[in-house]
Amino acid sequence: MRSSAGRSLTRSDTLLLGICLALSVALLVLPAAWAEAFAAGVRGTALAPLVWVNRNAEEQRTSRLRLRAIAAARDSAVLAAQSLAWLRAENEQLRGLLGLKARASFPTVPAEVLHQAAATDGRTLLLGAGSRAGVGVGHPVVSPDGLVGLVTSVDGQSSIAMTWAHPDFAVSAMTEDGGVLGIIAPAPSASASEAFLELRGVPYRDTVAVGTLVLTSGLTGQYPKGIPIGRVAGVRREELGWERVYRVGPLANPGRVSHVLVYRVGRADRSNP
Amino acid sequence: MTISRRGRRWRVAVVIAVLITLHFYIRPWFGGGAAAPDLLMLAMLLVAIRSRPGTAAVIGFTVGLVTDILTPARFGAGAMAHTVVGYLAAWGRGLFFPDNLLVNAGVFAGGVWLRTLLVLIASGAGLAELGRVALVWSPIQAVTTAIAGVTVVVIFRDWLAIRLDE
Repeated sequence: MRSSAGRSLTRSDTLLLGICLALSVALLVLPAAWAEAFAAGVRGTALAPLVWVNRNAEEQRTSRLRLRAIAAARDSAVLAAQSLAWLRAENEQLRGLLGLKARASFPTVPAEVLHQAAATDGRTLLLGAGSRAGVGVGHPVVSPDGLVGLVTSVDGQSSIAMTWAHPDFAVSAMTEDGGVLGIIAPAPSASASEAFLELRGVPYRDTVAVGTLVLTSGLTGQYPKGIPIGRVAGVRREELGWERVYRVGPLANPGRVSHVLVYRVGRADRSNP
Repeated sequence: MTISRRGRRWRVAVVIAVLITLHFYIRPWFGGGAAAPDLLMLAMLLVAIRSRPGTAAVIGFTVGLVTDILTPARFGAGAMAHTVVGYLAAWGRGLFFPDNLLVNAGVFAGGVWLRTLLVLIASGAGLAELGRVALVWSPIQAVTTAIAGVTVVVIFRDWLAIRLDE
């Protein structure tokens, strides 16, 4: 009797384990759009208080611990801004001479990065700003250092950004002088803690020097033109004599970034002259 | 003074609620990095070793789902990893009675390490990343979580004491 009861309880445990594992597998094969919609819904409702606590803690930490760094950055920005008016006037004058239309300026939304304990934090980031602040799906995310990624999912108070460390990430890129175009994507073995990217699709005849700055090209309309991505660190491999793949050291580290700016731009407005 | 089973459960629930709040409030103060203790995982393990394996699997699945929602790099990976770890933690209670601090620390550290490994495998991480995280970052987080866990168990020793009749 006792043995029979014990066996039935063990079976119920195994059954519950099986159900949970089956549900996990179902989640793993769920289409990304459905998973993101489900996650955004739960984040905006049931988990909203926890995200709120997380965001407030991040705000308090940065406001206290980083005050000195922010003051130093502000002083540097003030110094840089002193020559800004002169540069802007010169830029407008040159654009007028060349017949170019005025450079578009993009509104931005500041957001705290709410880092999580998961090992995959860094491939995606939870941001403390959502649709109520004007953040939308597809908006580019940048840090003071350079491109971080783009927003893939949004709810009222928070959003999820896919970073350059995510295997699905890709961005159309160019060298600083605009002479070489290619596609930037994470290296297959890279992770958020091992920071490097690949510049792919560079014709074999083109050579890119080590240290060259790589920027977004704005060609696909997904990202504005001219956002710094990284610097070329060398040739990673050559593909059958027709293409070189360069190793690029990214400028922004998604695993450590604490604040980002989200560009509030429509896809049609992103490419600049 | 004898505390009823319901009273003991309420006390454990209070500790778990405090840990969950601290996870979202204190972790950012550690920079939120990979080395910071995972108090959500700690809360799950504390409940799991006091539950039946099936119940622990359900709790693990729920906690994993929360981590997937907050870090959806590979949706479902966290749910699967936490389910397995929760089940094993509860099942392991039958092999060793976790009323010893060192055993508790081992369960916390082992749980965090195994969880991270399973998440990375389910996320399709490469061998290089798997090796680096499994040998460097995950052990560090396992140790910090174990230290936090032992501290919690010492502070709330009376509240978290496991009774054989539970």
